[in-house]
Amino acid sequence: MKRALAGATGPLLAAILVAAPAAAQQVDPRLERLDAATRPVVAALIDSARTASLPTEPLVQRALEGATKGAPEGVIVAAVRRLAVDLGRARDALGSTASPAELSAGAAALRAGASQTTLAMLRHARRESLIVPLAVLADLVSSGVPVDSAAAAVLSLARRARDADLVEFRRAVERDIALGAPPAAATAAAATASAQSVDVNAGARPQRPGRP
Amino acid sequence: MFEPMDDVIERIARHLRRPVQVDPALDGRVMREISALPTPGGATMVGKAWRWLRRPRQFTLTPLGGLAAVAALAVALLLFRRDSTSPTPPQVASRAFQFVLVAPRAARVSLVGDFNDWDATRTPMQRTGSDALWTVVVPLEPGRYHYAFFVDGSRWLADPSAPVARDDDYGAPSSVLTVGGGGDS
Repeated sequence: MKRALAGATGPLLAAILVAAPAAAQQVDPRLERLDAATRPVVAALIDSARTASLPTEPLVQRALEGATKGAPEGVIVAAVRRLAVDLGRARDALGSTASPAELSAGAAALRAGASQTTLAMLRHARRESLIVPLAVLADLVSSGVPVDSAAAAVLSLARRARDADLVEFRRAVERDIALGAPPAAATAAAATASAQSVDVNAGARPQRPGRP
Repeated sequence: MFEPMDDVIERIARHLRRPVQVDPALDGRVMREISALPTPGGATMVGKAWRWLRRPRQFTLTPLGGLAAVAALAVALLLFRRDSTSPTPPQVASRAFQFVLVAPRAARVSLVGDFNDWDATRTPMQRTGSDALWTVVVPLEPGRYHYAFFVDGSRWLADPSAPVARDDDYGAPSSVLTVGGGGDS
């Protein structure tokens, strides 16, 4: 046994010496599109996110978007870093069971101005995926709806509304804003209409045990 | 008052030398009982393997060999951790989405976004119907996507029929598409 191990030690150490740096420097080949100065900084940010168990794909895409649009190094690095921070805050609010897509939508909602408390309340209010509620929240705030109004409306609908109902609600708000309605008023009116619609639809659906 | 010790021993020896009558069927009964007892660990390959696994052994290892083994274990753990934390493709159904742009004067239009690595060569749009209409169909899984149209290799256009991405970091306009688990954008 001793002799066998002693014989195997050389190749084993060689394999380790080759494998360890390779594992530490495993860089996504898509990042080759970044310039030489940006690439290592972005790769380090992505590596840190991976270590923190955050989804890395949104960070890669944000960097690639910058590369395609010809953004300078500092702007790309700042964008990736900001998104990584927002993903971490979204994970803190939504919990470790949140999917990567939910975290990405949550980061967008936080970036738009929603609070972590709102995200946590959405998590408690809705059993289904939060991708659409979070995205609708982000889009509403981005459209000029005050964040409190948008959060209250989405929270009131999130418990019972389907994804399609929430999307229709967002379209109604944007349509009314485009027609000249104040964003907060448009949101309140659309939320009321959507809630009534959801109630009617919910009554018409076959009941399922254990679900509202 | 006491018998001499030799006499006592002699009497015990005589007693022990007496022939004893043994039941002739005793051997058979004993062998039957033994064969009826369960074999520890079983006589099967599993039983043999179990006994082999439970038998203590001693190994000798040089310090260098021990270091190599520990280093190999550390590398294996590192690689496993990297694999386990890397995003795995979700097993969710994707849905086809048609993107449309009216661009009468464009010579070529590409769709670029989070779903194709922002690669302008990967998803070219096709003229359909009239010369002004450019379309392409892309399968998408649930999520929130940024995208834009890249016209003639130089101009960025947001989708006029979709919400504008106001969290855009790069100045050039982008749009947002949200795909729900069972719903649309």
